[in-house]
Amino acid sequence: MIRRLLLKLLWLYQKFFTLIGFGSCRYYPSCSEYARLHFENNSISSAFYHSLTRILRCNQLFDGGIEYPLLDKLTPKPKKLDVDSIKYWLVPNKTGRFYIIKNFSYKG
Amino acid sequence: MTPNQRLIVAVLLSVIFFVAYTAIFPPKQEETIDANKSKNVVIKDVAEIAQAQAGHEISAQEKIAQSASSDIVTVTNDKFVLKIDTLGRISSKELLQEKFRDQNNKHAQLIPTLGAKPLYVRFLDEALNKEAATVAYTADVREINLQTQAQKIILTQTLSSLSVTKELTFYPDGHYDVAIKLSKDTRYFIYLGQRPEITEQMMTVSGAMVYTNDDLVTIIEDGDAQGRKTFSGVELISAFDQYFASIMYGFSADTNIMVEKDKNDNPVVYFEALASTSFHGYVGDKDFETLKNINPVLTNAIEYGWFTFAAKPLFALLLWLYGIFGNWGWAIVALTLIIRMILYPLTYKGMVSMQKIKEIAPKIKELQAKYKGDPQRMNAAVMDMYKKHGANPLGGCLPMLLQIPVFFAIYRVLLNAVELQGAEWALWITDLSRMDTYYILPILMGASMYYQQKLTPNNFTDPLQEKVFKFLPIIFTFFFITFPSGLVLYWIVNNIFSITQQFIVNQQFKNAKDARDAIAKGAEKHND
Repeated sequence: MIRRLLLKLLWLYQKFFTLIGFGSCRYYPSCSEYARLHFENNSISSAFYHSLTRILRCNQLFDGGIEYPLLDKLTPKPKKLDVDSIKYWLVPNKTGRFYIIKNFSYKG
Repeated sequence: MTPNQRLIVAVLLSVIFFVAYTAIFPPKQEETIDANKSKNVVIKDVAEIAQAQAGHEISAQEKIAQSASSDIVTVTNDKFVLKIDTLGRISSKELLQEKFRDQNNKHAQLIPTLGAKPLYVRFLDEALNKEAATVAYTADVREINLQTQAQKIILTQTLSSLSVTKELTFYPDGHYDVAIKLSKDTRYFIYLGQRPEITEQMMTVSGAMVYTNDDLVTIIEDGDAQGRKTFSGVELISAFDQYFASIMYGFSADTNIMVEKDKNDNPVVYFEALASTSFHGYVGDKDFETLKNINPVLTNAIEYGWFTFAAKPLFALLLWLYGIFGNWGWAIVALTLIIRMILYPLTYKGMVSMQKIKEIAPKIKELQAKYKGDPQRMNAAVMDMYKKHGANPLGGCLPMLLQIPVFFAIYRVLLNAVELQGAEWALWITDLSRMDTYYILPILMGASMYYQQKLTPNNFTDPLQEKVFKFLPIIFTFFFITFPSGLVLYWIVNNIFSITQQFIVNQQFKNAKDARDAIAKGAEKHND
């Protein structure tokens, strides 16, 4: 419930309110996209923490650049797998956790 | 239509436009997500149902309000005319200054004709109360004229079992001292009076306020009063609208203040006394300097809504700037510049990285050519390039988000500061607290916003977003039409500052490109 409401708010922000300060994010994915990925895949508290620290880091004292969100807990249960139905690629990093990377070929 | 109604219509129209636009031309990617989320979340309002029954006190007080009363004393000053009626209440106060006008362009009347009036006394004993409503007060003078000296009026009411004496001392600055003496002890209540109803703009708070000695402000907004609340250790009570207030302060330590609701759920404030009591009062505009000179505690009556903690220091800064410039308009311009500077302490860092951008510009161009049809992948590649070279031209989300509370605080200050009433800036702007009747400022605001957008490089991936983005200056123009000129002025100056900054950045980019082209040309020639 709360998660859906937050995601709806993020959607609203990304659609309309981001226009006021458009294109100022120093990161890829942008802060709002990063928050969305977190809220879709991780617990709300973890997503809040990571989104907040990300926004705090998004200023000129930090380099910015590419920074994918990390998955907290791996629970894959896909019904079918092909390149069009995969929403996120989970790419393992050196510490054994997974980057959440958007699949550009995802068709819904 | 009043300005407020027009504003609401403008906002509603723009919201409807975009909702309809999204419905008629749904973006392809969003369609599926929408389908998943189509179940609307209905949030039930579980607001408490207010008790319909009003206390006997309120109905009694309403009867009093309707009962005929005539004025027995008139207090005049070059700034106001105050009248006291046969019930010993302040029945009216008219502000004579040109800048204080109500919606019908008449002199501001601080005491509404209906409702409780300041200094009204009600006895707990119902029979006594009935008698008091019929026996008129008598005054020792009919008319006083305040120049520099404070003057005293003695009002007396002789009832069958009791006599009431009100000693009122009026001061030229608008405040008064009260000493109430009873021939024998009986329980009674003194009313703060209905709040002024002169100006009310969007988003301003009006109602009653209780400030206690633990530095806590309790505000009961109109329509929000519930049951009866009792406060002790109260320093100040105030019934206020946007710019004006009826204030009472300086109570004895054991005074209990009561806030009750009337039939419209608006707060009614009164306090209890048993024998003789004395306190102070003020009815007038919430001008910071005036209130501070009467008693510093009164400045707590200036209320900026829930954002007071940020708005108060901002107002102090604005007041200081006004001291320097002697004009509120220029003070606002200076305030904007100062805030822009504070919010960009990182500009230097940004400039350094701008130099690095120049060096990697050709490589970025290569990337842009490579991922021409795929903006998302291009962004990723460009970001990667920035990271590799430790350069990033963008300001970041934090500086952007920081501006939102600052804007909100400015909004609250400019909306609630009575000092802006009748404050002129330059040319056609004669009152910064009112909308620009020539619509020049809002149009300038829209134009500057449009130009700023043109200068800012954008790379929209969504055509809908791009359309909304282009309409933004028009929406904002309508949105700002009824706003106080001071606020629109702030927004214009802010835009101009952004434009200048963007212009410098763009110029740097262009210079770097020209230099690179020149070098490239030179190299070509050399190769020949």
